[in-house]
Amino acid sequence: MNLSKILKNGFLILVASLVLTACATQKKTTGQLEGDVYSGSESVEYLASGVPDRVFFATNETVLTTASRETLRTQATWLRKNSDINVVLEGHADERGTREYNLALGERRANSAKDYLMTYGISSDRISVLSYGKERPVDSGSNPLSWSKNRRSVTVKAN
Amino acid sequence: MNRNIVISFGLHTLLVIITTMSLPFLIKKPIDLPPIVSVELIQITDKTNIPFAPKAKKIIEKIKEKEKKLVSEQAPPKKVKKQKPDAVPLPDEKIEKIKKIKDKKQNPEKVETEIKQISEFEKKDLFDPNSIAALIDKSKVESAETNQKLDKITQDQNKEVDFVGLTLSEEDALKAQIFGCWSIPLGLPYNENLLVRIKLQLKPDGSIIRTEILDHVRMNKPGQGFYKVLAESALRAIKLCQPLRVPSKGYERWKELQLNFDAREMLEG
Amino acid sequence: MILRYLIILLILLPIKAFALIEVDITRGNLNPLPVAVSPLSIDKESKNSFKKILKRENVGAEISIIVENNLKQSGLFNPLNKDAFLQKPDIANLKPRFEDWNLIKAQALITGRVTFVDEKLRVEFRLWDVLAGKEMMALAFTTVPSNWRRVGHIITDKVYERLTGEKGYFDTRIIYVSEEGPKTNRIKKLAIMDQDGFNNKFLTLGNELVLTPRFSPTNQMVTYLSYFRNLPRVYLLDIETGMQEVVGDFPGMTFAPRFSPDGKKIIMSFAKDGNSDIYTMDLENRIVERITNHPSIDTSPSYSPDGKYITFNSDRSGYQQIYVMSSNGKNVKRISFGNGLYGTPVWSPRGDLIAFTKLHKGKFYIGVMRTDGSGERLLTENFYQEAPSWSPNGRVLIFYRETKTNSKGEGFSAKLWSIDLTGYNEKMVKTETDASDPSWSSLLSN
Repeated sequence: MNLSKILKNGFLILVASLVLTACATQKKTTGQLEGDVYSGSESVEYLASGVPDRVFFATNETVLTTASRETLRTQATWLRKNSDINVVLEGHADERGTREYNLALGERRANSAKDYLMTYGISSDRISVLSYGKERPVDSGSNPLSWSKNRRSVTVKAN
Repeated sequence: MNRNIVISFGLHTLLVIITTMSLPFLIKKPIDLPPIVSVELIQITDKTNIPFAPKAKKIIEKIKEKEKKLVSEQAPPKKVKKQKPDAVPLPDEKIEKIKKIKDKKQNPEKVETEIKQISEFEKKDLFDPNSIAALIDKSKVESAETNQKLDKITQDQNKEVDFVGLTLSEEDALKAQIFGCWSIPLGLPYNENLLVRIKLQLKPDGSIIRTEILDHVRMNKPGQGFYKVLAESALRAIKLCQPLRVPSKGYERWKELQLNFDAREMLEG
Repeated sequence: MILRYLIILLILLPIKAFALIEVDITRGNLNPLPVAVSPLSIDKESKNSFKKILKRENVGAEISIIVENNLKQSGLFNPLNKDAFLQKPDIANLKPRFEDWNLIKAQALITGRVTFVDEKLRVEFRLWDVLAGKEMMALAFTTVPSNWRRVGHIITDKVYERLTGEKGYFDTRIIYVSEEGPKTNRIKKLAIMDQDGFNNKFLTLGNELVLTPRFSPTNQMVTYLSYFRNLPRVYLLDIETGMQEVVGDFPGMTFAPRFSPDGKKIIMSFAKDGNSDIYTMDLENRIVERITNHPSIDTSPSYSPDGKYITFNSDRSGYQQIYVMSSNGKNVKRISFGNGLYGTPVWSPRGDLIAFTKLHKGKFYIGVMRTDGSGERLLTENFYQEAPSWSPNGRVLIFYRETKTNSKGEGFSAKLWSIDLTGYNEKMVKTETDASDPSWSSLLSN
């Protein structure tokens, strides 16, 4: 009786853990890609020493990754120190979408960066948002790596 | 993508079932749950949801003003040539009298047609109810008469014969021939009832004495443009095909034939 | 004896009527209809006059070439080679020898005559049914000589309508975005041209980014997106006067504009704080109305031809899908349920279909579905293509297609293409530069 119960429970744990593994999204890190978010630094420029200007997004996503949040926190710190500087957040999408939807997507990406900066104390008066959709890619290639570089929100000094 | 969702959904459901079933077991020996990872929640506060800022409005107005000034100097778009009213082609008032070569086959005279509208013109020209003749080839009236004589004789002979349809192979031969001749007008809608029934009178060699569209009233009705187009294409097919590939025997059976042209199957495909 | 004979005949006759053999013809060939386009005849005097004004050797022959090219482009007709024509144009126009035209397998024949009358170009043309030996249509127009290309288009429209039963789409224009320069920094200009690619004209100089132009129903106005002063806003441009103005007073990006079918409103998306919703602005009283109110992206709106419904693109389900709602924003209903993402819905001018762009497994498709979402048909598949726009008769779609680039970013091009509802007749539309975002005008004449 007891043995069978232990066996049964053991079996259940096994099944449950198998089921749980199904939840984990596979994150392959191949060179400069983490999942399909760009993690390299090729196209990245700097607002100031150690302050990268852009964050990257997954396909069709507007959620900030851990790395993006770190970048934005650095930007927020820098913006707090340089309170005379205003910025424009330029949102972009890759070429794998319709033009009009991509304009909206770029706007949403730039805004998710803006919201994050605001939670770190940057006044919304200092941030404006501009979406380019798929109109201004940094990388003109037609491959997943190029596309990942283009899915971005770039912080640009406005004055 | 969707497959993954389905798989994930299935497995999740399984998990829920298992947990509910083995709830007592979980209560007895609680499994160490992994530590909760803190997720940063960005609340969309009222701050983010700024109503139309008066400041922005001002900026826009300023820019608008600038734009107004700039429109002229910035990109004075090249004008596309304006279409003057007289430039728009209009149906000319008169179409020249059609010089008619007198011909038995056709209506001896064509009235000088004054057109202001195409439709009007067309009516006069072709689809005048008086000239249903246009649909019926009168040229062979003479031969038709001789055929009537022929009729009598054959009728006499086959008095007792039952009038049955064509055999399958006979029908197939005829169908195959007409399939080849009929160019289906590709612009037709596939979801409308467009059945054109045409009655033929044939000579023994399969050439055509007369054709008659059974619903010819429909030809001239407004809004039946597609029907007319299909009917005309069917008539062309018959003309193109003649002499028709008819059986060598049993003229009496098929001297009158009805062809039902239905393009739906083709247009849908 | 004679009486008996008559009685038998009388009895037989009704039986005969009953026994009429019926044969169902349900198949035929789908080959384009062979048509002979005889060059329009022209007398010597007129020819010389036009030569002076238009610098064209033989306007009559050139107009017939326009007709021929249009018919060919439609995919429904097969214009026959002129070398095989036996009859001279002037005689053919008076009385075609149908046997001659039958011989080269022409089923329809177009003839005509061009003359120079009172400083104007006068054209008469006739359409003949070769097999029936009948005239099907005869028409004449007069116009200013410089309109000679349009004459060719109008003739095609009339012939097309007479032979297919539906209106033509040849006397129309296309407004589009002309593109030049590297992919990372394209220079874009608004441009307008005839449906066959001729008479191209630029409407902006390329100083600022312009996107997604659309014609008003009367073809007088164009609404489009301009990045003038780096503020992406919907603009209105009067093609005749060149006057431009911003549409509405929005504190953020407005984009994806279209006209309402009555031309009185502009419907567009307005993006604010990461949320795009659909708005309309009345052009007369400037009243702005919010149509959708949802935290998702709502864009690419398009009215039904009766103005009662709007189809649009939304990701409220988590992914881009197509929705239909009443024009007041009520009764939102999702209509696309296939695999993949759906965008850019455009209501057909006939009202029965919605054209769309679909992205599935890394491929882009242009397709159509009924307005309830049933009967989805994909017409063409490619690496990248989108933004279909209907021909005014609802039979042909024009869209743009971009090519794949290699790892160095070479090989990029953007071109306009057209495809008809059968999905077979796919053709590239000739443009001087690279081109995208086409919008088809309604018929200019009528």
